[in-house]
Order: sequence, then structure tokens, then C-alpha cells
Amino acid sequence: MPVDHLSITFAALADPTRRAILSRLVSGEASVTELAEPFDMTMPAISKHLKVLEHAGLVARDRHAQWRPCRLTAAPLEDVADWVDHYRRFWEENLDRLGGFLSQLQTEEKKRGHTKRKRK
Amino acid sequence: MATQSASGSNSMKPTERAVVITRTYDAPRALVFKAWTDPELLRQWWGPAPFTNPVCETDPRVGGKWHIVMRAPDGTDYPCGGVYREIVEPELLVFTNIATDAAGSPILDGLTRVTFTEQGGKTTVTVDTRATAVVAYAAAYLDGMEMGWVQSLDGLGALIPKL
Repeated sequence: MPVDHLSITFAALADPTRRAILSRLVSGEASVTELAEPFDMTMPAISKHLKVLEHAGLVARDRHAQWRPCRLTAAPLEDVADWVDHYRRFWEENLDRLGGFLSQLQTEEKKRGHTKRKRK
Repeated sequence: MATQSASGSNSMKPTERAVVITRTYDAPRALVFKAWTDPELLRQWWGPAPFTNPVCETDPRVGGKWHIVMRAPDGTDYPCGGVYREIVEPELLVFTNIATDAAGSPILDGLTRVTFTEQGGKTTVTVDTRATAVVAYAAAYLDGMEMGWVQSLDGLGALIPKL
């Protein structure tokens, strides 16, 4: 398991400015200047954030185009946030909890002295 | 940097994945089915273990709606709900399940088919659920689910020493 890579991605996501940059990139590529606009930050500060995101593989920059637009590369995000995994775990936990609830329910019923005759 | 991997095929497309889970319970089928449809029972088990369900409403008939608000231990509410598509008591339950973030934007859109079979007094429940999530969900997550990330990190941290 690429735990190291996960840690890098998590570390990149741990900062609100970097998450805001990613959110902005969801709607399309942008230049560093455009990305810097909503923040009260210097260009070098934004560049630093972008480097972290690039290093985590969350953002790619076109090396050829003159203005080097930044774009989102969501694959690592999918790995981390792997929603299917969350979704499966949700249902697994759900069904386990149902099991616990059902046995509790039946124990309570027995305790209440509901000696219903078993039908065969 | 001449080699661009195929994964660069922009992951903005919606992706659908299926999850199938089976459990067998030592309980009669009628009771298990009731636990899914009676809101007073459903609210007592739905969701991950530490969550409570302050809102739980069901209208178990075709076209009827269900709506649950799951509350995390930190007080965050996670609403979900949908519409019943098929009901064959006590064998089958098909419903849509839509999860939204706190702001009401859908995170995923699912269709769940639950079958109940009984043998020797035990009931086997099979959940076949498929969901669609657009990767744009990431934006919603990134904006609103800061806590989620932090918890994932904590979870990861707690897990690693055990590995």
C-alpha cells in the first residue's frame, strides 16, 4: 500500500488555501495569477502552495504553454477519498449494526415474557 | 515529460460502482424486513455505530419517500433519503438513496436492492447497491468536509501502528 503517497496527498489537502485552489480547478484550468486572485497572498506564496499540490500529483502544469496553466489531476484524490470504499464501509457497518440491533430486539422480547409459540 | 499516462483522461466523468454485501441474521424474515421499513426500528440501527438518527421517516410503498438525518458524534448532520421503487413484503426492497452534504448538494446518487431470504429461521439479507458520484463531488468535499479529512488522517494515524 502506498501509504507514503497517501500521507503526501493528505498533507497537501490539510491546508485550506490548497483546498480552495483545488476547488477552483474543478471548474477548469487556470493560470497562477488567476489562482492567486481570490487570496490575499503574494505570487511566491501561491507558487509554493502549487508546488506542494504538484508534488502530491493533485495539480499538473503544462510545461509547454507560455502561461503554464494549472489543472486538477484528480486521480490521487480518488485514491484517498475512494468513495466506493467509504460507501462499502458504510453498508458493512450498517448491516453489522442491524445484526446487533436484531439480537437486542429479540432478547428484549424474550425478557418481556412474550412466550410466543414457535410455528413450524 | 513526453509520456502522459492514460489516467489523464480527465476524471470528471461520473463513475458508477457496485457494492454487494450479504449478511445472515438469527432472526425471522418478517422482523428483519420490519427493521428496514418501520421508522422506529430503522432509526435505531441505521448508519455507522456512533451516529444517531434524529430524523427518520419512511413511507414504504412504491413512490413513497424515505428520509434520514444521521448525526455524527461531533454534531455534524448527514442527510440522506430517496424513493421506494419496488416493495415485495417481506422479500424485496428497492429504493434510491441520495446522500447530500450539509449544504444540500448531492454527493452521490444510488440505487439499492435489498433481498431477504429465510432458511431455518435465519434470514439472509443481500444488499446490492450501486452509486454514481461525479468527481465534482470532490469540490463539495473539499469545501465542506474539512473535518472528514482530519478524521481520515486521525483514522490513518490510528491504523498505522497496528500494521
